[in-house]
Amino acid sequence: MAFSVARNSALLVLLWTLPALIGDYGTYQLGLYLIYAIAAVGVGICWGQLGFLPLGQSVFLGLGAYIAGWTLKGFEESWGVWLVLPLAVVVPALLAWGIGWLVFQRKKESGPYFSLITLALSMLAFQAATSWNSVTGGFNGLGGIPELAGLDSFGSLYYVIAFCLVLALAGSSWLLQAPLGTLWRAISQNEARLVFLGFHTGGLKALAFGYSAALGGLAGVLYAPHQGLVTPDLCGFLLSAELVIWTAVGGRKTLLGPVLGVLLVGLLTSELRDTFAYWEVLVALIFIGTVLYLPNGLAGIPLPRLGLKKPKTSDPLPIALQPAESGLHALSLQFRQVSSQIGTVRILDRLSFQIERPGIYCMIGPNGAGKTSSFNVLMGELPLESGEVEINKHPLKLPQHHLSRLGISRKFQYPAIFPELTLQEHLSIPLWSNLAKPLQYLDPRLHRWQSEMRLNLRERFPFLKNGHDLSSALSHGERQVLELAMTLVAEPKLLLLDEPCAGLSAQETQQVIDTVREAAKQLGLVVIIIEHDMQLVRELAEHVFVLHQGSLLAEGQVQDIQTNEQVKAVYAGGSKA
Amino acid sequence: MESLLVLNGLNILYEVTGLVFAALGLAIIFGLLRVMNMAHGEFISLGAFTAVSCQMAGWPYWVSIPATLAVCTGVGFLIERLLIRKLYNRPFDTLVATWGLGILLRKLLELGFGKGYQSLDLPIQGSVSVWGTDYPAYRLLLMGVIVILTVGLMVWFHRSPAASRIKAMIGNPELAEAVGINTQRLSCVTFISGVCCAGLAGALLAPLYSVYPAMGLDFLLSSFFILVIGGVGSLWGLFAGAGIIGGLQSGVAVMADQMAGYFTVLIVAIVFLWRNPDGIFRRS
Repeated sequence: MAFSVARNSALLVLLWTLPALIGDYGTYQLGLYLIYAIAAVGVGICWGQLGFLPLGQSVFLGLGAYIAGWTLKGFEESWGVWLVLPLAVVVPALLAWGIGWLVFQRKKESGPYFSLITLALSMLAFQAATSWNSVTGGFNGLGGIPELAGLDSFGSLYYVIAFCLVLALAGSSWLLQAPLGTLWRAISQNEARLVFLGFHTGGLKALAFGYSAALGGLAGVLYAPHQGLVTPDLCGFLLSAELVIWTAVGGRKTLLGPVLGVLLVGLLTSELRDTFAYWEVLVALIFIGTVLYLPNGLAGIPLPRLGLKKPKTSDPLPIALQPAESGLHALSLQFRQVSSQIGTVRILDRLSFQIERPGIYCMIGPNGAGKTSSFNVLMGELPLESGEVEINKHPLKLPQHHLSRLGISRKFQYPAIFPELTLQEHLSIPLWSNLAKPLQYLDPRLHRWQSEMRLNLRERFPFLKNGHDLSSALSHGERQVLELAMTLVAEPKLLLLDEPCAGLSAQETQQVIDTVREAAKQLGLVVIIIEHDMQLVRELAEHVFVLHQGSLLAEGQVQDIQTNEQVKAVYAGGSKA
Repeated sequence: MESLLVLNGLNILYEVTGLVFAALGLAIIFGLLRVMNMAHGEFISLGAFTAVSCQMAGWPYWVSIPATLAVCTGVGFLIERLLIRKLYNRPFDTLVATWGLGILLRKLLELGFGKGYQSLDLPIQGSVSVWGTDYPAYRLLLMGVIVILTVGLMVWFHRSPAASRIKAMIGNPELAEAVGINTQRLSCVTFISGVCCAGLAGALLAPLYSVYPAMGLDFLLSSFFILVIGGVGSLWGLFAGAGIIGGLQSGVAVMADQMAGYFTVLIVAIVFLWRNPDGIFRRS
């Protein structure tokens, strides 16, 4: 944090000394592009950190500018300006948050459709601004906007703009270093994993979109008095496009990247557009080249992770989960006549089984028997066509991110982790998920939370102690362990493990078995393990379910299963008699 | 009265087929190859400007059709090789890179032809009487061409082995490769066909639309909206999408004004993108 303050102050001093060197007109031009830079920082956060691309940032810039323009015209010199002006930031932020909430609610991934929606929104805003003559001044724009508190666009206003930019950078950097920032980055890397750790990712994305729009609004507030005129073009799609290009070329992964891009490409464009005919063609080529070969932009070349430093280690703050309690509330699970179908393929066929008390249960069966699918139905990934899934005797009808609150935790078949997060962050996220209150996600102290379970896991698997390593550096086996550790740190009541030992060495397998067994005992867990390795099943399982063609074929102790004629027939390739 | 009905009917049909034609190339590139092609509009411009160049050179209009096909094949090949090939299965990067490509083509056209409007003479003057109503002959011809082309493409898509290979490739590229499909060549050819379709639409529609370097943007959006509303991969979807977009646009424009029509289309498209991006006719 201290470094960040020093760096931002240095940037501010640098920006403040520039006018002495570049003269009045230069200051005016630079001021305009610093305004754009504020909006571009928002684009960079959405695209670089969360992984969704807004193509309509100018909508919020325009909205902010129109509101600010009206306010300045309406209040002139009166102090009322300062009461109303914040609306120019708040309204765009709320609008974007609302749009984001609605759109992200629908789809888990933030695919290109979101981008298309924002693109259409910017066309819509342009049309609205053009046709709503009485409010926006129509095609000619809203003119005659007075100066903000007598600040001159060719001089003093510049200092305010520079200050606002540095403020935006500092605020963003603080947000990204807070736990919220960790969650934001986790979204872009593995959204499904985060949902099953109990986070409402749609809401988190909406929050980021709202924040980015607030930066757009702030840029608008400064734009109105700086230019004295707001035209529909400011809302339109061309400016949005340019903001994206600047962000890409400068570098979307860092906070300073977009600023760099705006200043380099934007300022050069305004200088060269008229004198050098091929300039815009060149910019388009540079842009394409950046997307292809330099995904992290210019800022990605010399100093990777410029804006995001690894958090420093400090003393952990121990927190106590309540292990004693969990035994009392052991979870019961019941599948009653559950069927599921995709297209014409019947995946589960009246599957029924129940689990009443804690213990380790194994689920076996040939490929395609419906093992993973039964997990998927439980987790809401597959549609439940008929029948019922009950947890603690209550039918399960919850949004996916609430499952973890019930104490259901799942490890995927293929290790689902966040490649660009540190191990420390991996093990912190599940710790937060059930314990942190919403506002605490702004509190950096969350990074220092520690629990007994986590300490135990780190003792057992020493590689987890290298908290600052990125998980992408891990071997396959270590990734399996890391994901298992994440699910355990959440201290669930029902743990679903899908082939947890696939790809592990014999020694690692033994460690995983011991860990699962100990955790089961300690937490009073229900563990359901999908496994093909009969040796492992023999060693672990207290009870075995055999699935075949989407329904339960047999259940019981391992010995019973192994002598069961039906089971033998299925595994030997025969058909069910 | 009756003649007015015929005229309106033909106008709507013309509008809808025009939209279908413009979306056809995208239906191939986005619908089949799953490439979010934001440069689609510029491929249409490419065809239109090829036609303009042919007229400038003093050649008869009909020359512009083979010329367009040649230009689009060349450009499509280069783009597929240098850009798209690196980006299959990276929808986001594709979107951004093709956007950059769109800007590049637009700026190149501006450099070559200036920002202004170009005009193209109608290749067929005069009109034909349809149920007692005179209607421009070129429009009628165009409508016929579009219907034949679209239906032909759909029949091909459902019947031909090449189309099955494409479907196999999209479903599972590695497996397709393993059973002996040259996926690189196949996707290249498919992409080029998409570019050619778009270019052809540009060349044939150019005499009836205004031609200028930034003309592609409107085509791009309407094409995406058509595919989103109608759903990709089916003829009905294509016509339904175009019908809804065209109908709304002209319907509301008649009742209120042009702006309101455009407004309505945008809002409907946004709602579809949000609620039901697979469209009315889902891919089975």
